[in-house]
Amino acid sequence: MFRVVFSTALWRGAGGIAVFVALWEAASLLKLPFLRFVPAPHILFASVVETIQTQAYWSAVLISARRVVIGYVIGVALGVPIGLAFGVSRVFKGLFFPVFETLRPIPPLAWVPLSILLWPTMEQTVISVIFLGSYFTVVINVLGGVETIDIRYVRAALSMGATRWQVFWKVVLPATSPSIFTGMAIAMGLTWEIVVAAEMVSSIGSGQTGLGAMMWQAYVGGVIPLIITAMVSIGLAGLLFSALIWQIGAFATRWRRVM
Amino acid sequence: MARWVLSPRPYQLLLGFAIFLAAWHLATAVLKVPVFQKIPPPAVVLREWFNPEPFFGVSVYTSLYYSHIAYSVYRAYTAFALAVLLGVPLGILIGWNRTFKEYAFPLVEIFRPIPPLSWVPLAILMLPGTEPPVIFVTFIAAFFATVLNTLLGVQSIDRGYFRAAQCLGFSRKDTLFHVVIPGAMPHVFIGLQIAMGLSWVALVAGEMIAGKRGLGYMIYDAYSMVQIPTIIMGMLTLGFLGFFSSALVRYLGRRLMAWRSY
Repeated sequence: MFRVVFSTALWRGAGGIAVFVALWEAASLLKLPFLRFVPAPHILFASVVETIQTQAYWSAVLISARRVVIGYVIGVALGVPIGLAFGVSRVFKGLFFPVFETLRPIPPLAWVPLSILLWPTMEQTVISVIFLGSYFTVVINVLGGVETIDIRYVRAALSMGATRWQVFWKVVLPATSPSIFTGMAIAMGLTWEIVVAAEMVSSIGSGQTGLGAMMWQAYVGGVIPLIITAMVSIGLAGLLFSALIWQIGAFATRWRRVM
Repeated sequence: MARWVLSPRPYQLLLGFAIFLAAWHLATAVLKVPVFQKIPPPAVVLREWFNPEPFFGVSVYTSLYYSHIAYSVYRAYTAFALAVLLGVPLGILIGWNRTFKEYAFPLVEIFRPIPPLSWVPLAILMLPGTEPPVIFVTFIAAFFATVLNTLLGVQSIDRGYFRAAQCLGFSRKDTLFHVVIPGAMPHVFIGLQIAMGLSWVALVAGEMIAGKRGLGYMIYDAYSMVQIPTIIMGMLTLGFLGFFSSALVRYLGRRLMAWRSY
């Protein structure tokens, strides 16, 4: 503890951030043109403290979180089996991987208009776009995981008389699980990014207000501190949720721990 | 090539697409599944896409289509180039110089988790005109992926190389140019591929919200006028451009790192 508090790294890091805040404060004082809408750090900080005490803020966080979790869970639930199927079945991969690769580079946001037409409610629209974002990421990571398995493990298992089914459960799945969790963590980071944009594009003025819609309303209303509060909140939420997935992953694959 | 034609792969590929298109056609034109009632069948999309006189004004025969593409490509590549020019040197500097890392890296880590797309409103307010906000948001998306992967690249270099370089009397500058930069390259290119993908994602969002031209705008405009074939055209075009851009980065990486045969 003592060493952490007095390490030069910590002080230098804090120094770097302090210099940045000081420059920002100075730029506000000098009224630099590109900062004319951005409040000075001390004003911003006061308004952040004020915002996070309101109920509207927390309900926006919860609404976005709910959408993220639902879309993400469906994405993982479908993505992991499909990724594994691509990895273990050459025929399945030959048939559907090219189609998958054609659809994958389409940015999740480009799906928003089509999703609005497909689904009757905004809620379902936003969730389906989050689903797509996490689904493609999970599938590609799982497939990558299966493909990097050392072929000798599979051969060893087969030569010792394992059935295909046993190879799958005892070799492929455990060997792929680190990639599954990596994909899940990356997808989680992405979902928070998508939820904001999807809410900004689709649920303007309608439905429940998530963080993205809150941010858009703040933009339309010219409440800049609220925009920045929302930005930081989304970043923190993404960080927290991904950290949670990493933790679960580390626990589920604890045989990989070196110490 | 001959082996590829004789293997089952091309036929599986064609069959896979045929199944996909058949399922799409079946759901929209034959069975008329209620969820898909507003989605046109594939033939309608194709007819619009390759129609000399398009019903909704955009097809491969209209200059508007190419102007949307040109705007999107220009924005994505400008932002990507800026991200590479600033991100790669920054990543190498952070990885190579510990003092610099201790000062600068926490600052990078504070900004990195903020999703690029959530910069859109602030970017519109801070930057003048319509081009800079969109390019800025796209740049942010590509920048952090580039910095982080470059840093990872430097950190992944075998410590033994540094010791060997020191034993052989390399100066700091020689170490940088002959050990650090080539050693980090493979990771840099992985990072650039990720960055390219992310910049297309951010670009579309930026164009939808702030753009006046470009494929994201085309999709959003088509949406607000209920021109559904045009939406699907835009999506597939974006998919193709994104795929092509990533392939380009991969190809450049392979050319620049000829010593790695993979």
